[in-house]
Amino acid sequence: MSTTTIAADRPGNADPAITPFTVTFLIRRFDPEVDEEPRWQDFDVEMYATDRVLDALHKIKWEQDGSLTFRRSCAHGICGSDAMRINGRNRLACKTLIKDLDISKPIYVEAIKGLPLEKDLIVDMEPFFASFREVQPFLIANKAPEGGKERIQTVAQRERFDDTTKCILCAACTSSCPVFWTDGQYFGPAAIVNAHRFIFDSRDEDAKVRLDILNDKEGVWRCRTTFNCSEACPRGIQVTQAIAEVKQAIMRGKP
Amino acid sequence: MSSSPENEKQISTTVLVIGTGGSGLRAAIELAEMGVDVLAVGKRPRNDAHTSLAAGGINAALGTMDEEDSWQQHAADTITESYNLANPHTVEIVARGAEQGIRDLERYGMNFAREDDGRISQRFFGAHTFRRTAFAGDYTGLEIQRTLVGRAEQLDVAILDSVYITRLLVRGNQVFGAYGFDINTGTRYLIHADAVILAAGGHNRIWRRTSSRRDENTGDSFRLAVEAGARLRDPELVQFHPSGIIEPESAAGTLISEAARGEGGILRNANGERFMERYDPERMELSTRDRVALAAYTEIKEGRGTANGGVWLDVSELPRSVIMERLPRVYQTMMELQMLDITEQPIEIAPTAHYSMGGVWVRPEDHSTDVDGLYAIGEASSGLHGANRLGGNSLIELLVFGRIVARAAAAYSAGLDSQPRSAEALAGARAEISDLLAADGHENVRALQRAIRNMMTEHAGVVRDEAGLKAGLAALDEIEARMAGIGIHPDIAGYHDLAHAFDLKASALAARATLEAALERRETRGCHNRSDYPLTDPALQVNLVWSPSTGVVREEIPPVPEEIAAYMQEVSAAGKLVE
Repeated sequence: MSTTTIAADRPGNADPAITPFTVTFLIRRFDPEVDEEPRWQDFDVEMYATDRVLDALHKIKWEQDGSLTFRRSCAHGICGSDAMRINGRNRLACKTLIKDLDISKPIYVEAIKGLPLEKDLIVDMEPFFASFREVQPFLIANKAPEGGKERIQTVAQRERFDDTTKCILCAACTSSCPVFWTDGQYFGPAAIVNAHRFIFDSRDEDAKVRLDILNDKEGVWRCRTTFNCSEACPRGIQVTQAIAEVKQAIMRGKP
Repeated sequence: MSSSPENEKQISTTVLVIGTGGSGLRAAIELAEMGVDVLAVGKRPRNDAHTSLAAGGINAALGTMDEEDSWQQHAADTITESYNLANPHTVEIVARGAEQGIRDLERYGMNFAREDDGRISQRFFGAHTFRRTAFAGDYTGLEIQRTLVGRAEQLDVAILDSVYITRLLVRGNQVFGAYGFDINTGTRYLIHADAVILAAGGHNRIWRRTSSRRDENTGDSFRLAVEAGARLRDPELVQFHPSGIIEPESAAGTLISEAARGEGGILRNANGERFMERYDPERMELSTRDRVALAAYTEIKEGRGTANGGVWLDVSELPRSVIMERLPRVYQTMMELQMLDITEQPIEIAPTAHYSMGGVWVRPEDHSTDVDGLYAIGEASSGLHGANRLGGNSLIELLVFGRIVARAAAAYSAGLDSQPRSAEALAGARAEISDLLAADGHENVRALQRAIRNMMTEHAGVVRDEAGLKAGLAALDEIEARMAGIGIHPDIAGYHDLAHAFDLKASALAARATLEAALERRETRGCHNRSDYPLTDPALQVNLVWSPSTGVVREEIPPVPEEIAAYMQEVSAAGKLVE
């Protein structure tokens, strides 16, 4: 794990956090009212080792160029609003430590791919959420639980879908998928992950409907197991595996 | 009479819910399930509500682990923990309704942790007599919020994510809607509604060290309610968590789970002394939240704190495997935020404002306020927690009262013959925004907000006294005078400056209520420590109700029903610290 490496090569208490250094950021800017095409703009920013890419964007916005536009909210990897392409990889800006990047070269930051670019680092997320909604991402369980109490679910049954509950809908996976880049109609990994969350929930009664939806020509069969999505997921969800499990469930029925 | 601005949208709904955290969404879901028209608005994205930060769990006497548990015992534990300031009727409603609350969440698909045979798992948490706290993985609140967001989506609940409500619209003593603006675009919103549910949180962000983030819990509910004609109850009763981190500044206030002490973590001051020996030699670090916070505060105040104004929490003597298994999130948080390896080094912490136990004055049975058609729920409301909150009760309160208040609001609307409006009230709301947008003074909104937070930390922190509270009020007078000279400058990125100006107004009002009530509570009880009145005064076993016109007025607390009183006892918290 990268974090342990950081701890190991650090001798004293808070030393590396004390000395600032200059990092160059190349940011892909786009203002629909002015620009015909996106353009790259560079910024030099004083950073500390404990800073994240989001801190750099804030510094640029507050100290150098107030027009820089990006989404952010919780700043600790929960709300999923600041996924972007950093040095060619989809990551959350708030979780990406400067220390983990090669700062001898400029750091490239651009909007995630495959969704309509609105402004600077912001894309239109609506097509992404439309796919998400289409898989019916909620528990469908109309039968009353026995004895009027809660529905029973064993530890093993709960474990079955635990991994896919972790999704924060940041779109890092879907917008890293080469199939999605070329075919925006494809449901994409995130929608399938959220379908998986309920298909494999023992309490749910509507797996078949979701499996039918994903058995579409724009459904799971478009996945070519590139594994980009699994690598991009900031929550460490085994996305490709979840997609494979959905494929199997379509062929053999819900296990 | 002002005409409508060009960029104003008008919406009508039956019930308007202000706030899209757990309580607001739960109410909206109930209304949607009933087929009632509802609109929920929030100033923050629903996926990032404060509810999602709650860690410990959610209480209900399901008896899945300890069959002897009962709603009566849950109620009794809640009242004992409240130092007898909770309203027994409110407590009874929550304890009785808790099982239904869990069942609702389960019905929406919440992934509670389970036992081998499939029961919902429950664990000890703080001063509970039995294992009563249900949970889900690391982040119970986050899973609850996600579950509610999903359910709201399923029901097509209309939600506006970036709308800041600036004023409730009232005619006579009856609410008829609210006014606000979109934080990103500046578009104004005039929302007509028969009933309004306030679910916009508490006021713990008015302290410098707080577990709330920049624009959360700035006292918005308090200001909106009070300006509409409602009152506040016990604003001085704020829970301080013993262990929030101090650095980095951007993450200050992030909480270190009390489980760190529960597992054997040791507290030391800057001189290396294990200071709990002086405050609670028997229980030491396993003492209760209010006592540990008080001890740490005293050490810092008396000059034995670190240079940053903190104390040390040290788990490094625990076996590495225990830390990795029992405190993985603490390990990860400190590694991420400070690159600090807690298996090797101590954590610098300080008491951190965490939860508003007081709030808008509401009737226990349906959380209606003094204003007809206006309701308050969640941290915005009051009555359940008294002078110390029982861990895990805040989350169940959302579920129980979200359901009840939604039904009450719908019934209120159904009983209306008409919705009387007021052009004058509307004009006032429009002018308030226009005036602020035209404000071009030299005072900086954020600097004033910081001044309030510093003042509250200095004069109304863990320990208070008359001289300090009066100095705080004098400082607040000065800050309010400076507020007349603010400048508001919306920029290309949006109207955040305007939102901060309203946050500031709310914070100032919440600060005044808190200081005035703290001054009147001349005793030490639960979270409220008065160095000049170190004992609990039986005569002050009352709630303190505040409004700008009446100041602080005492309100009697009804007697505890015999059915609950029979269960009341001191409960040990040893081994039960998880949040």
